Amino acid sequence: MAAATSITKEYQKFTPMENETDTEIKIEDLWVKFPDKNGGEPVTALQNINMDIKQGEFVSLVGPSGCGKTTLLRTIADLQPPSTGNISVRGKTPREIRLQKKYGIVFQNPVLYEWRTVRRNVCMPMELMGLPKKYRTARVTEMLEMVGLYNFGKLYPHELSGGMQQRVGIARALAIKPEILLMDEPFSALDEFTKEKLHEDLQTIWSKTNKTILFVTHNIQEAVFLSDRVIVMSPHPGRISAIVDIDLPRPRTLATRDTTEFNALVSKVRNSFEGV
Amino acid sequence: MEIEKLQDRTNVEKLTTVLYPVLFGIFIAVLWQTQILHKILGTDTFTLPLPGRIISIIGDNHATILKNVGATLIVALGGLTAGSLFGYLLGIISTAFPKWGAGGLTVVSAFNAVPIIAIAPILNNLTKDFSKDANTRSMLAKMLVVMITCTVAMSINAYRGLTELKPFSLDLMQSFAASKLEIFFKLRVPNSVPYIFTALRVSVPACVISALVSEYFAEYIIGVGRQIRENIVLAQYATAWAYIFVACAIGIIMYLILLTLEGILLKGRR
Amino acid sequence: MNLGKIKKALLSKQMVIAYWVLGLVVIWEILAVIIEHTKRTPENVLPHLHQIAQSIFSKDLVNMDQTALQIVLSNTGITLQRAGIGFLIGIAVGYLLALIMNMFSWAEKVVFPYLMIIQMIPILGMAPIVLAMTKDINKSRIVIAALLTFYPVATNTLAGFKSVMKEKHELMYSMAAKKSDVYKKLLIPASMPYFFTGLKISAPMAITASILVDTLQGGGGLGCMLSQSLKHAMTIYVFWQIVFLSAIIGIASYYLMSVIEKLISPYKKVGR
Repeated sequence: MAAATSITKEYQKFTPMENETDTEIKIEDLWVKFPDKNGGEPVTALQNINMDIKQGEFVSLVGPSGCGKTTLLRTIADLQPPSTGNISVRGKTPREIRLQKKYGIVFQNPVLYEWRTVRRNVCMPMELMGLPKKYRTARVTEMLEMVGLYNFGKLYPHELSGGMQQRVGIARALAIKPEILLMDEPFSALDEFTKEKLHEDLQTIWSKTNKTILFVTHNIQEAVFLSDRVIVMSPHPGRISAIVDIDLPRPRTLATRDTTEFNALVSKVRNSFEGV
Repeated sequence: MEIEKLQDRTNVEKLTTVLYPVLFGIFIAVLWQTQILHKILGTDTFTLPLPGRIISIIGDNHATILKNVGATLIVALGGLTAGSLFGYLLGIISTAFPKWGAGGLTVVSAFNAVPIIAIAPILNNLTKDFSKDANTRSMLAKMLVVMITCTVAMSINAYRGLTELKPFSLDLMQSFAASKLEIFFKLRVPNSVPYIFTALRVSVPACVISALVSEYFAEYIIGVGRQIRENIVLAQYATAWAYIFVACAIGIIMYLILLTLEGILLKGRR
Repeated sequence: MNLGKIKKALLSKQMVIAYWVLGLVVIWEILAVIIEHTKRTPENVLPHLHQIAQSIFSKDLVNMDQTALQIVLSNTGITLQRAGIGFLIGIAVGYLLALIMNMFSWAEKVVFPYLMIIQMIPILGMAPIVLAMTKDINKSRIVIAALLTFYPVATNTLAGFKSVMKEKHELMYSMAAKKSDVYKKLLIPASMPYFFTGLKISAPMAITASILVDTLQGGGGLGCMLSQSLKHAMTIYVFWQIVFLSAIIGIASYYLMSVIEKLISPYKKVGR
């Protein structure tokens, strides 16, 4: 096992990015423990996680609260240090990838800067990268057109609906052309109608940009509809209990949700939870 | 291993939270006692006496000091009580007539920005005929100044507490067919309790300050604030500092009492 | 239809406030009439408002070469200037302290308890001793105004820094933002409403402080004229003018802060 890891590492070192095998994120034997607040036994949030995510793949992490799906996303995003185990993203550590600004993150809350207009919100990460103004303006326009908010650029976040705010968040995350888009329950606060619309939009954006997307949700239908693969997680301790391949044809539409294949996959995911 | 380190770190955090400010306090006290502080501030032990001397003065003059503390406390607490009660009453009236009340409170809140020094002399003059005893009529004038300051803070917060109810709580009461009076006592009044404390957090320090300042302008010479001023005029700086110490102690003790009360009464909320 | 509109306009928020001000004027005048008939020198206790207004426009010289209004206005300048300098110093110190406390947790631990204590201390009561220590009326005015300004600014700004949601920090972190950018683009703009809350508290306080220090010693300023007028060294109407003017300045300083806030943070203009 250890030997195999070092060989992959060596291989990656000498291979240019383009020729790399299509493994984007590789997680080996990952454990995350949190200290107990009252000084008791530490809590195991993630236990023995092993997984591979391919480049350009849309993968969902599904599970009930407390299954560690958000912790896993945060560990990949370098927002949470692993206790033991190894994560490599394109052969590098999550920190290196973060410092190279290759992550785009979308949270459950839109996390918009309320003192900035929509345009300047989308612009923010590019400002941080020090990109020239001309490029920024063009890119903001491009992004807002993609998420269908071009006419709303001059408004402030509180003047938008929840769904529109979340679109701004997605536009912002994609503005710096990240390699990997990490989404933490981005649609869970939205109503069902808005959610379905955004599912289709996200699918379109994904097929246009060909990003790797890691999508955390507790909504099984959402995970099945969007993903190439659904990773089912179970709580206490947080662990992977199943991986379900979703081979529904794309583009998926509203009609897809009514097919027997879709519903069979939903049942399959639901039945793979353990001990809930 | 990692986790133990994390837990150690939280223990260290707790310790330093207490340790650092205490060390800083000792550091300042040492600077003061060794007169390095005097060099920094460009002053001498005559204007800024050493801590030991100030404390010994408090000990020597405790009878006089207590008398002045009593006078200041009566003014501060009397004004605080009267002002808070009156302010709450204004809040209730404004709640009963929201259209007129809200506008009225905007006017009241403007008083917040009026310097106390402008009000104190007017009240001195207004209360001149109230009593033949200079001490009594001065006391009333001072108390009125304190009362005005405390009324403003309480009325605005009381109004907010009585009207800013949790969503749907009013609907729920109405679905029980509760009367206006029942809604008032069972919903509005309990809802306003935290707001009362918000007001008191402002008005408790403010009542001490306005009591001290109104003493400056009072006819009768009594009170901690007045003693600070009188002793400085007489160039008895050490005595003035003793009164400043006492004034700070009054402010801090009153605030701590408020925080304790708040802790007991608001237990279980938030 | 039209009548309804008029009725609505007459009951608008601004009109209600105007009625209240009118009500206060009526109460004042009633009291003034009572006092006019019961006191020997009513203008010392409560003059009619029109008498105060008259004194403003009166051309009679009150001292060597100034009318009452000229005295008041020239001294307002002195007071405002010192309050202003102290206010600005207080803002700078308070903001710097909030920044340092937010950057270094040890600094927060050292300073924060004292910031809490200083709120409970009657600093205005310490004005005379500050005067004694600085030995200069101008300096002590500035020091007291600065002291009264710095801690509302420091505590409110720090609260503003701390109010920033964890996700906003994490977003900055995930974009590998530099520390300076985190302050420039996240913490400082996010804390603006809190900062202005501090300013709205301290601006009237700085003015009150400056006037109070004036009363302690000669050397000009509104407070100095106020006590001279009370001691009948000049017409009592100087006192009444100062009462109204200081009230107006105090309230205006508060609204000035609101106006600046709206100019700086336009996003608050719309909604809420």
